[in-house]
Amino acid sequence: MKLIKVDFCLDWPGSIEVINLRKYVIRNLIKKGEVIRWSIIDIQNSKESYDIKKLRINAVLAN
Amino acid sequence: MKKSPTIFVVPTGIGCEIGGFAGDALPTAKLLASASGCLITHPNVMNGGALSEKDRNIFYVEGYSLDRFARGEIGLKSVKQQKIGIIFDSGIEHKILIRHLQVADACVATLGINVDSYVLTKKPLSILIDSDNSKISGGIIENPDTLIEAGTTLIEKGVTAIAIVAKFPDDSGSEGTNSYREGKGVDPISGVEAVISHLISKFLKVPCAHAPALTPLDLNERLDPRAASEEIGYTFLPSVLIGLSNAPDLIELPNKNELITLHPNQLESIVVPHGALGGEAVLACVERGLNIISVKNQHTLKVTNQFLKYPNLIEVNNYLEAAGIILSIKKGINLTSIQRPLKRIQEISLND
Repeated sequence: MKLIKVDFCLDWPGSIEVINLRKYVIRNLIKKGEVIRWSIIDIQNSKESYDIKKLRINAVLAN
Repeated sequence: MKKSPTIFVVPTGIGCEIGGFAGDALPTAKLLASASGCLITHPNVMNGGALSEKDRNIFYVEGYSLDRFARGEIGLKSVKQQKIGIIFDSGIEHKILIRHLQVADACVATLGINVDSYVLTKKPLSILIDSDNSKISGGIIENPDTLIEAGTTLIEKGVTAIAIVAKFPDDSGSEGTNSYREGKGVDPISGVEAVISHLISKFLKVPCAHAPALTPLDLNERLDPRAASEEIGYTFLPSVLIGLSNAPDLIELPNKNELITLHPNQLESIVVPHGALGGEAVLACVERGLNIISVKNQHTLKVTNQFLKYPNLIEVNNYLEAAGIILSIKKGINLTSIQRPLKRIQEISLND
């Protein structure tokens, strides 16, 4: 097993309600590896679309 | 009086004004535990290096397992005593290892804690601290398998809870360490500490907590009181052993055979610093419609409810106020009844 750090941006579309946000982030994280630790460390409104927020995710994953 | 089970989270490594140092959120945890009658919190809230305290209203649960509890995947079962094993990173120098073993012996002799045995990892864990990010402390270990192997060995010998002591690089003169000691910055090592304990929780599913093995630091006369408990002794292991000594068992759900003391369905609220709403425990509580009590507690993040727009969030100015909110929830008092101005009740049209 090897651990990797990832820091990436993820679009949060308005169609995904806040009660489903955790699962939405996890679905995107597990594409990159097995999740050890993660959190959203920043949120900004998108400049391109009023219906999208930009999440910045910091995580440690195992591969 | 009924209990109001509440999670108390102070995210690791974001420089919280309260709780971002060495067990300096412990008095707050005691207050919230007293108000709720049942508080679930994580080791870095309770661990003050050489200092810690037991509280029968507090469940000491490592962060990864706490997230699983918030997600409803595990229940907590109170125990009288855990049988603790210690994993020592084989990268630790001999003299420092002996200091830690003497701490373990002292906890048996003086506190009556059941510290059963220890194991040395086959390879050094090799910590890599992430120093690129000033907002959040992080990092990884190069040899996670050796950690899991050591933990598995302890469990096969009958150990029920695991303390981990990892060798951290000597950065005693670094700007990050000095800022932290003087109460200004983010704890530079806490992010990796969380990764180490999360690995044990994830793969071995037992109570666990981590203490770093560090080279003794030079005296700093400008030491912040919040960091002082880490300067008392040679190791940070006492608080970990005290916390683990009666940490609850983690019961996988669904489970009909085990007697569960606290089921996740009983959870009512989570207390979290304002602007730190992006952690898994908080978002799991959002998913379940629980109360989020967001407390002003300065740190490096700005993940606020301005973006989440979660309706069941209560913002308060400090932890004293949070304790009042918890008491109100526990007693079933409408929070608006004790605030002014008080609005008249509203008519709902039958046509709505």
